[in-house]
Amino acid sequence: MNTFSRNVLGAAVGAVVLVLGGVAHAADTVKIAVAGPTTGPVAQYGDMQMMGAQMAVEQINAKGGVDGKKLEAVIMDDVCEPKQAVAVANQIVNDKIKYVVGHLCSGSTQPASKLYEEEGILMITPAATNPAITQQGYQMVFRTIGTDDQQGPTAGKYIATTIKPKKLAILHDKQQYGEGIAKEVDKTVKAAGIKPVLFEGVSKGQTDFSALITKMKKEGVDFVYYGGYHPELGLLLRQSREQGFDAKYMGPEGVGNKDISAIAGPASEGLLVTLPADFSTDPANASLVKAFKDKGQDPSGPFVMPSYSAVQIIVDAIQGAKTEDPVKLADYIRKHSFPTPIGKVAFKENGDLKEFEFVIFEWHADATKTPVKQ
Amino acid sequence: MSGSPLLEFIQQTINGLTLGSIYALIAIGYTMVYGIIGMINFAHGEIYMIGAYVGLLVITVLSLFGVDSISLILLATLAVSILVTGSYGWAVERLAYRPLRGSPRLVPLISAIGVSIFLQNYVQLGQGARDVSMQPVLVGGWRFGPEDGFQVYLSYMQVLIALITVVSMTVLTLFISRSRMGRACRACSQDRAMANLLGIDTDRVIALTFVLGAALAAVAGVLVSMYYGLVNPFIGFIAGLKAFTAAVLGGIGSIPGAMLGGVVLGLAESFASAYLRTEYKDVVAFALLIGVLLVRPSGLLGRPDVEKV
Amino acid sequence: MRRALPEALLAAMLTAVLAVPIFGLRIHVDGIDVSLDRTPTPVVVAVVIVFLLRLFQGPLRAAWARARPPAAWRNPLADVLRRTRQQPRYRTLLWMLLLIAAVIWPFTASRGAVDVVTLALIYVMLGLGLNIVVGFAGLLVLGYAAFYAVGAYTYALLAQHYGLSFWLSLPVAGVLAALTGFLLGLPVLRLRGDYLAIVTLGFGEITRLLLNNLNVLTGGPDGIGNIPRPTLFGLEFGRRASEGNATFHEFFGIDYSGEHAVIFLYLLGLALVVLILFVINRLQRMPLGRAWEALREDEIACRSLGLNPTVIKLSALTLSAAFAGLAGAFFAARQGYINPESFTFIESAMVLAIVVLGGMGSQLGVMLAAIAITALPELAREFNEYRMLAFGLVMVLMMIWRPQGLVPATRPRLELPERAEPTP
Repeated sequence: MNTFSRNVLGAAVGAVVLVLGGVAHAADTVKIAVAGPTTGPVAQYGDMQMMGAQMAVEQINAKGGVDGKKLEAVIMDDVCEPKQAVAVANQIVNDKIKYVVGHLCSGSTQPASKLYEEEGILMITPAATNPAITQQGYQMVFRTIGTDDQQGPTAGKYIATTIKPKKLAILHDKQQYGEGIAKEVDKTVKAAGIKPVLFEGVSKGQTDFSALITKMKKEGVDFVYYGGYHPELGLLLRQSREQGFDAKYMGPEGVGNKDISAIAGPASEGLLVTLPADFSTDPANASLVKAFKDKGQDPSGPFVMPSYSAVQIIVDAIQGAKTEDPVKLADYIRKHSFPTPIGKVAFKENGDLKEFEFVIFEWHADATKTPVKQ
Repeated sequence: MSGSPLLEFIQQTINGLTLGSIYALIAIGYTMVYGIIGMINFAHGEIYMIGAYVGLLVITVLSLFGVDSISLILLATLAVSILVTGSYGWAVERLAYRPLRGSPRLVPLISAIGVSIFLQNYVQLGQGARDVSMQPVLVGGWRFGPEDGFQVYLSYMQVLIALITVVSMTVLTLFISRSRMGRACRACSQDRAMANLLGIDTDRVIALTFVLGAALAAVAGVLVSMYYGLVNPFIGFIAGLKAFTAAVLGGIGSIPGAMLGGVVLGLAESFASAYLRTEYKDVVAFALLIGVLLVRPSGLLGRPDVEKV
Repeated sequence: MRRALPEALLAAMLTAVLAVPIFGLRIHVDGIDVSLDRTPTPVVVAVVIVFLLRLFQGPLRAAWARARPPAAWRNPLADVLRRTRQQPRYRTLLWMLLLIAAVIWPFTASRGAVDVVTLALIYVMLGLGLNIVVGFAGLLVLGYAAFYAVGAYTYALLAQHYGLSFWLSLPVAGVLAALTGFLLGLPVLRLRGDYLAIVTLGFGEITRLLLNNLNVLTGGPDGIGNIPRPTLFGLEFGRRASEGNATFHEFFGIDYSGEHAVIFLYLLGLALVVLILFVINRLQRMPLGRAWEALREDEIACRSLGLNPTVIKLSALTLSAAFAGLAGAFFAARQGYINPESFTFIESAMVLAIVVLGGMGSQLGVMLAAIAITALPELAREFNEYRMLAFGLVMVLMMIWRPQGLVPATRPRLELPERAEPTP
């Protein structure tokens, strides 16, 4: 095509491009895309991610940025929908952004990661926990959070060795995250010789669990593991108490949210939760926690610190490797370790954290939690 | 320990009836609107969601003022919620459906889907996407059965839900069958053009239908916020879909049909969850719907369509 | 004016009732503490605006009517469209020009834009497919996403288990989806009107739930990942080729660019759309296509003319499902990953909205609406919170102002010439 027609068509399309993503104008900024849901039903988890990343960007800029360049977070909303995630990923490629912190949901991380791998974009997810994401043999994909197959066994072992329930039920919400963890727990307890009497899925957004509770009550279940998020478990707890079904419950970090006590009230007392160690209570993070609190934000959400750390790792790698080439950075990140708010971080060959510790907490009705001795 | 199958069956029936009552209350809104203007009002689920928000809001306000009388809370909440939700029903009809009167069947349907998306995001904008919740207002209940075995539990709230549902349905049925406006409603559902010719203000009747449907959705919303205590902008969608299924199951356009459909659906879900697997309860619900329609193409209590040339 | 004041007051009061519980009082949950935030400003603003608008409704309406442009140039497109309709030569020319523009466009556009339009093309396929049942045959189907899912899962599973390529899977996906449509249609199509809509809605939900529950077969909520991209005569578009294959950029000796794959997908989508359009346009002129429309207009008349309504309806549903299957396989190829959440009821509702917004039975309209519905929310990404709000509003407003759709379908019509003056 000749230059002229290219210009004419280009001008027409230019308008679209402008609105779609904005043109990369200043060369003296380092852009990091923060991709996750800022709208839709899981927006509250997206907020944690954005909050953490933005705080990291602010603090790094306050300290002079990246080698004198300003850091900029570009927030991209994928609504946690796979098809939107692909659109967002293409947009990121298009805008020549080289680093991504995200995505949040495993279902949208998976299709997007394929594009990042092909285009040589460095992706660190602070929230997607499905093991499959790092099992694709990708070079550019990392995560700063533990996986379902780390968390599930932690819970499973605790159930098998400490609780030793007579009749165990495992429930999940039929979502990738919830069912994934529930399966891992199931696998672990079975290996320890406990056969769950029930392994069933509820549906996302379900509000009435009475039939299921009656069924568990009749079976004489005395311990329930629930894989999923807090709204459904909150209602389960509340309705269990109503019906006089007094089994103990346990859940993953998706339920470890203050809202669970708001929903379940006194029924949330004694709930067991596997959570990443609470980084906001780590004395090393005191000043960071204060910075969050000064902005009126709550740093205790499970994805805040991992998200902060993801940004920090990218910046540290750029400074350490003295390059902005994402492919070289990926190599550098794999070989080095980084001090971050989630501890000293080193990665395995597949991009997962070498160590990520899940701690078992006991939840209280006033939305506080205390670690359980194992 | 394992409980008696009979007691478990009774408990599951109670569970199903409670769920069914709520479906039935929402289903009425679908069925009335369909009966009169032959339109599937997809936004009705959202109207119910607004009712639930208002219910939660009023209860929270009252508890901040230290009101703790159950009957007072219930009455005040129902009154405010019906007022607000009824207004929404009216406004939606006036703004989004009345201008479409007389256009092809699919046009109001798309408009309704638009309203549904709009209201969901509108509430999200005002109240946030997060779940809001509150603690139960009415706790406790009766227990039956052996002390050391499986006990059937019937909570006060479940009884209240059944009671309010029956009362609302009775009032509605009386209104439709006895009052002047009710007769006008029935006339409109039989033949709108004819009713118009006979001097009935059909626009007013249609508006009233929407308000009545919304009022019952408000009742369901209030009961849900009292019983489950969890509300978010997205609850209307699933509840709406289920209630709509219930309305069709019972025979859309028929008010007793909506009640029956709601109860049948609630029981089906409860039993599927109890005796099959919980993840298949919705499959069972929809399969039941398809099965019934194939055998009785106009639902359980629907009147068969007459083909007109 | 005298009547306007009480009416305006009433409207303002109603606005207050509507707005206070949603915008005036906000429930604030922090841990276990529940509190209320009072935000009177938006309510007051809304009430004042409604009051003023209502009060000056008369003068405003008059001003609006005066300000309206004359009808002649209100729709400059209408003229062109009318001419193209009357003259088939213009029509062909216009379509050719559009096609050429569509083929050239991706080479000049940004990658993000091409990808969004590729997504739009999927909806164009779905819209055109659903248009057959809804627009032509007049059957309301609310579970269209089920056929779309069948197509997507067919390709994903064939690729995963048997390593079948996109090109081999594409026809299989179409055929399987068509078969699903046929089998569903057999018992169901004797239901009339809205009952058909509900049964298809139920079928759509059951399909999604089964995809989510049958873990062994479909991977359940985990979905199916690593679905290969389509190849160009065996040439892959990745950076590195898989075992025993060549890549596109190596074969042609050019530098690797991720844009090749994106543009190729776009062109492939475009080709599928053209194929679907071609098939539909041919069928529309055949007895079968005529029968669809005849059936929509009057079923009883059709039957008395000896047409078998069930066969006609079944053919429409089967064909429509087949196109959804093709769209599904293409979707799986674009995503590289599918899970049941992409096939919810909302998806079916969106496709239906595309058909109605575009103008039922009108292919050009359906295409425009599909592009508008997918691209506009993308363009408005900056206004995140208001995006879907505006989207819902636009759907309602479109139905009020242009219920016949963007480009209403025109039926071929034959008018008798007016009778000449009777000669004395």
